[in-house]
Amino acid sequence: MGTGQDQRDASRTLSAISVVSGFALWELVGRYMGTGLFLAVPTQIAAATVELWRRGELLNHITVSFSEFGLGYVIAVLLGVPIGLLLAVSSRARATLGPWVDGLYATPVIAIAPLVILWFGIGIWSKVFVVASVVIFPMIINTEAGVRSTPQHLLEAIRCFGASRMQLFVKVMLPSALPFVFAGMRLGIGRGLIGVVVGELFGARAGLGRLIAESAETFNMANLFVGVIFLAAAGILLTALVRRIEQRIVHWT
Amino acid sequence: MTTPTAKLEFQHLTKRFGDLVALQDISATIADGEFVSIVGPSGCGKTTLLRIIAGLERATEGRALLAGREISGVGYERGFVFQSDSLLPWRTVLSNVLIGIEIREGRRPEADVQRARELIQMVGLGGFENYYPRQLSGGMRQRANLARALAINPEILLMDEPFSALDAQTREVMQSELTRIWQQGRKTVLFITHQIDEAVFLSDRVIVLARRPGRVREVVDVDLPRPRALAVKRTPGAIAYVDHIWRLIEREVIESVEEEKRR
Ligand SMILES: Nc1ncnc2c1ncn2[C@@H]1O[C@H](COP(=O)(O)OP(=O)(O)O)[C@@H](O)[C@H]1O
Ligand SMILES: [Mg+2]
Repeated sequence: MGTGQDQRDASRTLSAISVVSGFALWELVGRYMGTGLFLAVPTQIAAATVELWRRGELLNHITVSFSEFGLGYVIAVLLGVPIGLLLAVSSRARATLGPWVDGLYATPVIAIAPLVILWFGIGIWSKVFVVASVVIFPMIINTEAGVRSTPQHLLEAIRCFGASRMQLFVKVMLPSALPFVFAGMRLGIGRGLIGVVVGELFGARAGLGRLIAESAETFNMANLFVGVIFLAAAGILLTALVRRIEQRIVHWT
Repeated sequence: MTTPTAKLEFQHLTKRFGDLVALQDISATIADGEFVSIVGPSGCGKTTLLRIIAGLERATEGRALLAGREISGVGYERGFVFQSDSLLPWRTVLSNVLIGIEIREGRRPEADVQRARELIQMVGLGGFENYYPRQLSGGMRQRANLARALAINPEILLMDEPFSALDAQTREVMQSELTRIWQQGRKTVLFITHQIDEAVFLSDRVIVLARRPGRVREVVDVDLPRPRALAVKRTPGAIAYVDHIWRLIEREVIESVEEEKRR
């Protein structure tokens, strides 16, 4: 018990010190060199956060961005997993959809964001579409890889009990693909958040990406950093959440 | 042709992989309740033979009969224990032991759960029902694999070098556990190994295979009293059997080792 716990405490302390001194350094350097037009220091960002919150703008930006991300992400997972499963078990599906999936995965789909804004307008649905289209590919590809990497000796062992294809799929392939599915979900968080920001840059009424774009135009560096910091925090929290769920469900790894 | 007591019968079984003759004209009969081992140098076709019995592989010529019926695919009447650990890592011991029942019944009848618990007790895993495979040692996992194979109450138990991944001491313990368990149920067992002393200790008969092509070199009746304790291995009778079998395959074992070195 002792050493493991001690070590964890020690590394936590170290991380906290690292973060705090990083911010302190940022503050010092910023103040010494003069923040000017292109930088804001942590105290200014904190003040801007309070101000934006008080005016109700911040909550609005967060709600909009979070809805776009949440809807797009859930759609991507709900579509991506079954498509990945289909590609893994059906060679015909693989032959038909495979080239599209591989091609679009390699393409920076984000580049068509301006087009998507034209199709769906500047409301949240254009961003939902962008998020879904960047998250779906890691979901499809990871799910497929997960099913394919099911250990052969496990499949044969269970087949020896007379298992049907369906039983093999449900009892062996699905559980052994789960760790890959979760890895895809973690990958999808970063990609999805980028999708939100880029989508909003090209056209939106509100959202953290919109806040960043607007602040950049008016050289309001403090507000710009508020947007950046909340996006970073969202990435960290969402990843921790998925990891927590993963540990609960994929407890055997 | 088939004698009524034959549980498993090979009739002129031949298996070719392209030009390679893995098994050639294997004929043998295993009686109900018998414990038979197959020994032979690496590459003589032991696993191939077992995969044919499993229904995972088809014989090129000849056939294999289980209780008089020709084997044509996988099925519930055969229980397997493999060399590699084939427990499902996301299932507990109890849940792993029940997988065969689940596949056959589509559910877990209470009576079978009770029986699975008894089997877990019998293989010496009582108290570990809710453990996951990663929490068990190699020997314990093979005990769980044995319970899983027995849970479907198979006509025959087929084991492919089940103890070869274990350390020497654990292997000895597992050998004596297996004789104890076999003594209780008198299930028909076909046991594959490359360890001659293991085959002699466990078996009523030992089928010795030669390699290239894999064929029956000799069938040795092991006439040692039962029940057997591990000490039996050190009696002159047992040593004589081991010696005899070793002489049958010595040259080929050396050949196969040389070949593996070259690869
Ligand atoms: N699927 C396969 N395709 C081609 N050759 C195979 C295949 N399975 C086994 N063999 C060959 O058949 C021979 C017997 O193999 P195997 O049954 O695994 O031997 P053992 O279990 O006695 O070591 C070996 O020479 C092996 O390389
Ligand atoms: Mg083998």
